[in-house]
Amino acid sequence: MPQMLTFAVPKGRILDEALPVMARAGVVPDDAFHDKANRSLSFATTSDDMRLIRVRAFDVATFVAHGAAQIGIVGSDVIEEFEYADLYAPVDLDIGHCRLSVAEPAERGTSADGTSHLRVATKYPNITRRHFEAQGIQAECVKLNGAMELAPSLGLSGRIVDLVSTGATLKQNGLVETSRIMEISARLIVNRAALKTDARVAALVDAFRGNARSGNQGGAAAA
Amino acid sequence: MTNPDDLLPEGLEDRLPREAKAVSTAMRQILDVMDAHGYDRVSPPLVEFEKSLAGRMAGGNDGATARRMFRFVDPVSLRMLAVRSDITPQVGRIAATGMAAAARPLRLCYGGEVALIRADQLDPARQRLQLGAELIGNDTVTAAAEMVALAIEALEGAGAKGISVDFTLPDLVDILASKAMPLAPERIADVRRELDTKDAGGLAQVPGGEAYMPLLYATGPFEHAIARLRDVDAGGALASRIAGLRQIAERVADRARLTLDPTERHGFEYQSWFGFTIYADGVRGAVGRGGTYAIGGTGEPATGFSLYIDALIDALQASPAGDTLFLPLGHDRDIAARLRAVGWRTIEALSDSDDAQALGCTHHLVGIDPVAY
Repeated sequence: MPQMLTFAVPKGRILDEALPVMARAGVVPDDAFHDKANRSLSFATTSDDMRLIRVRAFDVATFVAHGAAQIGIVGSDVIEEFEYADLYAPVDLDIGHCRLSVAEPAERGTSADGTSHLRVATKYPNITRRHFEAQGIQAECVKLNGAMELAPSLGLSGRIVDLVSTGATLKQNGLVETSRIMEISARLIVNRAALKTDARVAALVDAFRGNARSGNQGGAAAA
Repeated sequence: MTNPDDLLPEGLEDRLPREAKAVSTAMRQILDVMDAHGYDRVSPPLVEFEKSLAGRMAGGNDGATARRMFRFVDPVSLRMLAVRSDITPQVGRIAATGMAAAARPLRLCYGGEVALIRADQLDPARQRLQLGAELIGNDTVTAAAEMVALAIEALEGAGAKGISVDFTLPDLVDILASKAMPLAPERIADVRRELDTKDAGGLAQVPGGEAYMPLLYATGPFEHAIARLRDVDAGGALASRIAGLRQIAERVADRARLTLDPTERHGFEYQSWFGFTIYADGVRGAVGRGGTYAIGGTGEPATGFSLYIDALIDALQASPAGDTLFLPLGHDRDIAARLRAVGWRTIEALSDSDDAQALGCTHHLVGIDPVAY
């Protein structure tokens, strides 16, 4: 019996879109995976030598980079934030589209120009620091894990850096998008050593690539 | 409870007897293999001038590698010192200075501890054992084949199983960008970056990057990947590289599983035409890497590799504890010396109350004979 392959998928946003893509590549979780009452974190799949784990998006990258999971699906935002050297992102799955943007209160309307220091609330301190550094601004990041939109109105920070898809949440909280840092989509990620030493991982990458290509031809982009 | 002051800083650990023994055994075996192949051991100091050490590292004095060294001012010379984070630049310095006049090719090997001021989350160790060999004055296909074979043999000697070697061509993008697949100079870094993460989506967005897409698929088992690389080879720019890789693969094909990833550049910042990474069963991540390069300062060609065996030690089956002979008070010292000479490990009683078995003894000396407990 070969060693078990572990496939990490993120909870939330991307998962619903990812399941059909995974199914086309032959990765199908057991029924228990869809059972909302089931509290387990690890699930069998229709293949004997593969299991699925469902963890937070940031943890998908960590599990795969450490080789605790060999393969996974995660947004390119997470990949950029960590810049793990042992991570490959071989396939753009063309799902989970959104963008990472800077937003600030609508009424103030100041820009970062001419400021040498500012405070930003974000889940992405590394990307944020790099983004502002490239503009010659030292950004002091306040790391939050959610509800970034509250930070400006409560005086925690002047700006936020967060994921934006429709912009509705920003609007409701009196914020406007002032610049886009990057476009984001979900990627298949694999552990470097696993890809080089386990032929099954390479075969899975090929399967996802094949179906990403046919998906693109069909124009199945979900924005 | 342990006093918090007695805890070790993050990324540092004690090797207790069993592990320490495994490390020294593996280290000895690796150095013996290198010695048997004519590599002379050199032993550079732990600390030297930062400028010389960093200047021979990837990225030079301002590179990310150089920044991760422990540094302090030398009270004697008032110059900046650094604790080595890599022994390879030190061997380069030796080849360029003390052994500049020695006959080439010069074969040197080394083994010692290196330290980092900050590790990363993936590999939190701040002190590592580095072993390696350098073949100085030659970076040909023959030299590369010798080094790959030597690295495999050294790791086998240390007990590694299921060895797998991944070949790469570190300067591939530079070669192709100059003519076969033209790229604006400012785009080269972008293409490299996307190739590094094998990001097909990102690569397609870089102007001129699309031509490089087939390289992403020229990876995997050696025979398969090299055939694809040959198909990609625009205008024969890579013909000599492909022939070289085949020659190296031929030499070691029966010794290890071989794969090719021509665009791999992680950890190959200063290699020239050829690089390789070694993996072994049960070890997460690489156990070693090497390739061809030019020594900083003199530009002399060289081929070498480094092995980081700490992770390998953890993966090795612990060797069974050997027999130990208890020598009671008043035993015959000549007999004890003779038994040690034929390989016995002995523990001598200090008092009547010593509990031989609790101290790990498997035998005790009765008259002139070791008797099992």
